Order: sequence, then structure tokens, then C-alpha cells
Amino acid sequence: MLKVRFHGRGGQGAKIASRVLGTAAFLEGYYAQDFPLYGAERRGAPIAAFTRISKEPILERGVISEPDVIVVMDETLLDDPLANPLSGLGKEGLVFINTTHKAEDIKKRYRIDANVLTLDITKISLDILGKPILSALAGGAASKIVRLKETSLKEAVTRELSDITHEKGLIEKNIEASIYCFNALPSVLIKSNASHKKSDVITMPFEAADISSPSVTIPANTPLKKTGNWRIFKPVWDYELCTKCMTCVMRCPDGCIRVNEEGFPYSDYENCKGCMICAEECPAKAIRKEREVHAW
Amino acid sequence: MLGKMTKQMLTGNASIAWGVRLSDVDYIPAYPVTPQTEIIESLSKWIREGQMDAGFVTMDSEHSMITAAGAASATGVRVFTATSSQGLMYGFEMLYTVSGWRVPFVMANVSRGLSSPITLEPDHNDILAARDTGFLQIHCETCQEALDSILIAYRLAEDKSVLLPAIVNMDGFYLSFTREPVEIPNKEIVREFLPPYKPTHAFFRASQPMAQGVAVLGGHIYSYFKYQMHMANNNALSIYKEVSEEFKETFGRGYGTVEGYMLDDAEYVLIMSNSFSAMGKAAVKRAREKGLRIGLLRLRLLRPFPEEDIREALKGRKASAVIDQNISVGKGGILYSEIAGVLYNEKQRPLLLSFIGGLGGKNISDAEFDFIFDAMMNAYSTGNVPQPALLYTEAELEEMERLKRVAGKG
Ligand code: SF4
Ligand code: SF4
Repeated sequence: MLKVRFHGRGGQGAKIASRVLGTAAFLEGYYAQDFPLYGAERRGAPIAAFTRISKEPILERGVISEPDVIVVMDETLLDDPLANPLSGLGKEGLVFINTTHKAEDIKKRYRIDANVLTLDITKISLDILGKPILSALAGGAASKIVRLKETSLKEAVTRELSDITHEKGLIEKNIEASIYCFNALPSVLIKSNASHKKSDVITMPFEAADISSPSVTIPANTPLKKTGNWRIFKPVWDYELCTKCMTCVMRCPDGCIRVNEEGFPYSDYENCKGCMICAEECPAKAIRKEREVHAW
Repeated sequence: MLGKMTKQMLTGNASIAWGVRLSDVDYIPAYPVTPQTEIIESLSKWIREGQMDAGFVTMDSEHSMITAAGAASATGVRVFTATSSQGLMYGFEMLYTVSGWRVPFVMANVSRGLSSPITLEPDHNDILAARDTGFLQIHCETCQEALDSILIAYRLAEDKSVLLPAIVNMDGFYLSFTREPVEIPNKEIVREFLPPYKPTHAFFRASQPMAQGVAVLGGHIYSYFKYQMHMANNNALSIYKEVSEEFKETFGRGYGTVEGYMLDDAEYVLIMSNSFSAMGKAAVKRAREKGLRIGLLRLRLLRPFPEEDIREALKGRKASAVIDQNISVGKGGILYSEIAGVLYNEKQRPLLLSFIGGLGGKNISDAEFDFIFDAMMNAYSTGNVPQPALLYTEAELEEMERLKRVAGKG
């Protein structure tokens, strides 16, 4: 059995990517299973999705804690201790990372022993689809890595996207982008990671309710988290065009636009999530969007 | 006569929705709750797009929803509804009420642990709280089984010697949001298997008024009606066997009241239910590779409780262990007690061990399964049965310690 885990941010398409891979494998006659993990989901928050592929009926369910292949759809997740995308990766495993950087540099920077493949699929999606929706592309990358066929991938993308959209043009562009990623990557022989970390069964100790009730007694128990690294685009102001109408300040859902001494708005880039609502709402078209690449 | 069938990747929720679509349901009262909502979303979409011809009403709560389901069913139409966890609890009063009306609608429950603390992941305290209500209960391991069980549930519930509502249960997340290949039966063949519902006991119309669920004063009257329900529920045991036999002939997939896995020559038996049984099967398979004679018994029909089939399956075994994915606080595993009751009068009965596992969706690791297998073999060789225990690992307790520190309790 091959176990693939996808990491992305809400809205990037990790769930559909896991489905594209699952369906492609299913179409080739494998047993397949796919599954997203989301709770209180929201756009931009880290999410994970899983695909299992096997020649025999699959007797495993739930999260994959020791994957053979990991697909990281957003490089910034590598720095996020809660998303922890590389957890459970063995030396024989393989990580695909969506980044502008080269595999060797990524291996060094994040101290990864396993095999690494990289490709800037955000750029490919912007070029072909015009927006950073990565589901078909990450699904295409994963399909190549686990050695599925191009024809299965094509059919899988068609099926999965037909569930979401009736726009034929959009489906065709997604197929094109998906196949592009498929062809840009080598297929790799992956050894299934069969090791299982063991932890002994223990006897639960009793603890009084001042400890064992589900309450939190400490104030400010969540570490301060900056959300600026979620951005794919960054809003940039043109003060020549800005009329100081303050619409952008009002509309920013994260309250991160402030006003400088001359009365012009500017964004707190440490927290701006790059949703571009400000740019859409600006009546003077004074805010433009710039692609953000993750520079070290 | 397998007919033309198509297989595709479906989630558990989509599988349930397909089962309902194929069952020619007339009316669906609905109220959303995670992780069930996808079921009613799919159904409402199909109704809107004209692929299904049914009334769909969103209600103000599960209490109203279950009342509406019962009332609609009492007019003689086929009804479906779905809920989960807190939602089931909120409608709880009406479960007893509508089953007393003897109305055979089908409800899906997508299991999710009960608050507090609040969670989204599965265990069976929600569905097992409903075990005494009069509803029939079918518990599923796979998405295919969830779809098929909707068809079987209608046949069973609508049978003249049963006429009680039924719940089809599946685990949240592990089935509800998990896709796997599912065969969608052909609609014409489903129609032959499940003909239209034509009741002769509850069919009120505007022109044909009738009183339902009347008030009774006097225990002998109340007892009569209650015990009739109990007998009707028990009738479903033999009817179930006929229906599932016919289902197998028609669709090629058979489902017993219980399922045995590597059971024939097993000396030790693991007893589980629902989707985690798959992990139990994997553990049994590994144990077999090591030469241990272990098998698994999966409970599928929970109400009526298939006592005879369970006794039969456990006959001659050395020891058996129940993993309860539920906890009756202050008592322990619910199914353990039920199985113990089944075995008590047997002269030669296996030792019976009790474990609580998978609460709130907690993973059951290989090490935990091995722990159970060792405990069964050890109990048999020493004659000492260990105290009921929780499956919990050292690593999990360490993680708990960390969280306690975060919460200011360490
Ligand atoms: S893109 Fe604009 S609206 Fe969105 S978070 Fe940044 S400043 Fe606010
Ligand atoms: S909405 Fe546009 S014009 Fe108005 S303050 Fe913001 S940038 Fe300036």
C-alpha cells in the first residue's frame, strides 16, 4: 500500500488534490481511499488530506501518520509547527514541495533526509488558470510520483472538477495544468514505509477535577501567530491614485490596514493574509496585487 | 440478476444520499449538523435539480425534524432524515414517541462523540443512547455497506411484522468524509427489491382522519403496546435474514446480522463494530501471519440484538475481547455488558475481556491490538480475566501532559 499525505491551506485545493489522486488510482483498478481532515475550517488555515492506494482491499482508516509521499502545497507550512507537514516521514519517503527553490536548497534549509522534488506549481496555475487554485496541479504531481498513467489523471481531473463546476473551459485548463505538472516531474520508485512506531499501553492515572476537567486556567495560552506568510499576493498602494476614501480600511476583514501620517492607507504585512478584498473594493483602483514568493 | 451497475468513488455521506435517492423517498425533513450535513446537502441539490422527486423541508431543530419524520410517515409516505451526536440528543424525546407510532421511516446517524468536551470525531455514545427507543439499528463498516443498508433498512422497517423506524449508523469522518469505491445499484432493480410502501395501519389523510399515539391510562394498556413493539423489533431478526438473503441474490453482496472475519478456526475473538473494525481486521491478519489463531466478530445489527448468532459465533472459543467505542460512565463498555448477558447461561463460554477504545475517534494502534491479543491469551492460560481497561498509550499520555501545561495545569 502507498500512503500519500497532502498539506495545504484552506482554499488551495488539498482535498480535491487527494481526490484526483484517489480517482486516478481507482480508474487504474487499484483499491483507493481518500479523506480530508478539517474541523473548524477556514480559508488560509492549514489542512491535510490523505490518499491510500493498494492492490488489496484497504483495511486502514483515518489519518496517515507515517506517509510514503508528502505533498506540500504551500512552502510556508514547513515553518508551521502545528501543521508539521514532514512528521512521520521516513528516510525512504519522498516530499514534493511547491516552491520557487531548488530541491537541494530545500533539503539543506529544512534538514530533510528523504528525497525531495520541487516545482513552482503556483506559477503554473497563475499562468494557465489565472488563479492560485492548485488541486488539479498537486493531484497531477502526485499521480506522476506514484507512477499512475496520464490518461487516468486526465479522466480523474475531469470527474473531480465536473462535480464542482460546469465550466468546460475551466476543466480543460485544469487538465492542461495538471498534465503540465505530471510531465515536469520524474516518476519515482517508492518503497512503502511499513515501520510502525510503537508506544506501550498504559493504565490511565486518576487526577482530580481541578486538573482533569476540560477547562483552561491560564490566560493568553495561544502563541501569537502572524498570518502574513499565508499570502500568495500582496496588496501594494499607489498613493497617486488613492483618494483617501478609507473604503479599504473598512473592508479589510483582518483589520490590518492602517493610516500613515499623511492620511494614506498602508498594510501591516506581518498579518495581511493577501485576500485582496481591499483591491477589489477600492473605487479608485489604487491597490494592485503582486505575486509573493517565499524568500528566505 | 446483477443488472448493470456502476462503481465510483463516494464518501460515506454520498453513499447514504445515494441509498435514499434509489429508495424513492417522498419526504425529507432536515436539520444540519457536522458531520452529517453533506447527506442533506446532496439530497436537497438533487431535489432542486429534478433528479429526485421528494419534499424537502428544513426544520427549526432535530426535535421538530424527528416529529415531522414520524408524522409524515404516519400519512403513509416514505420518509428519510439524518442527524448526528448532539442533534440526536436534542431530538431524543421524540425517538421514543415516533417509534411508538409504529412508523417505518429511516434515519441516518453519523456517529460523533458527545460533548463535553466537544469534539467532531466519532464514537458510539450517541447511537447507543438510542438503543432502547424501539428503533432498529444497523451499524456499517464501509461506504458500500452504508448505501446498501439504507435499502435493507426500508425493507426491514416496512415489513408487516415489524413496522418500526430504523437507524443506519456510520462513523463520522472515518466513513462520512472518506471516499472509497462504491457500486451504485441500478434503480429499476432497487424498485423490484424495495416496492412502494403501502401501509394498512397508519395512513391518515385530510379526508381520512385517524388518531395516532393515543394517551393510555392503566399499566396493562401501556404494557400491551410496549411489549408489542418489543416483539415486533425481535421479529426483525428473522425478517432481516430473509431480506439480506434476497439482497445478496439481487445485488451480489451479503450482510449477516454479524460478520465473521478469519473466525472459522479462531481460538480468540475480537469483537468490534462500525468502521474501526477495518483496523481490527488488519490487526487480526497480522496476528494470523504470526500463527496466532485470532478472528474478529463485527456486530452489525444492534437492534434487534442477534443473541443467537453471537452465541453461535463465540461457541468453543477460548477467550473473547470486546472493544467498546463508547463508555457508560460509571459502568464501562455498553456492548461488553450486552455480550456478557448473551453468554451467561452457556455452559461452555469463552472468557470475556472488556476494553474501551477509540473514544472521540482516538486511533487504535497496532500495539494496542497486540496488547489485547496478549491479554486474551494470558487470561486463558492463567484463568484470570483482567479488569476492564482503557486503550491508551504512553505517547498519548505524554501529549496530554503537554496540553495540560498549555492549559495552566502542569
Ligand atoms: S489583502 Fe487587503 S484586505 Fe486582505 S488582509 Fe491584506 S490588507 Fe486586508
Ligand atoms: S479604497 Fe482605494 S482610494 Fe480608498 S483609501 Fe483605500 S486605497 Fe485609497
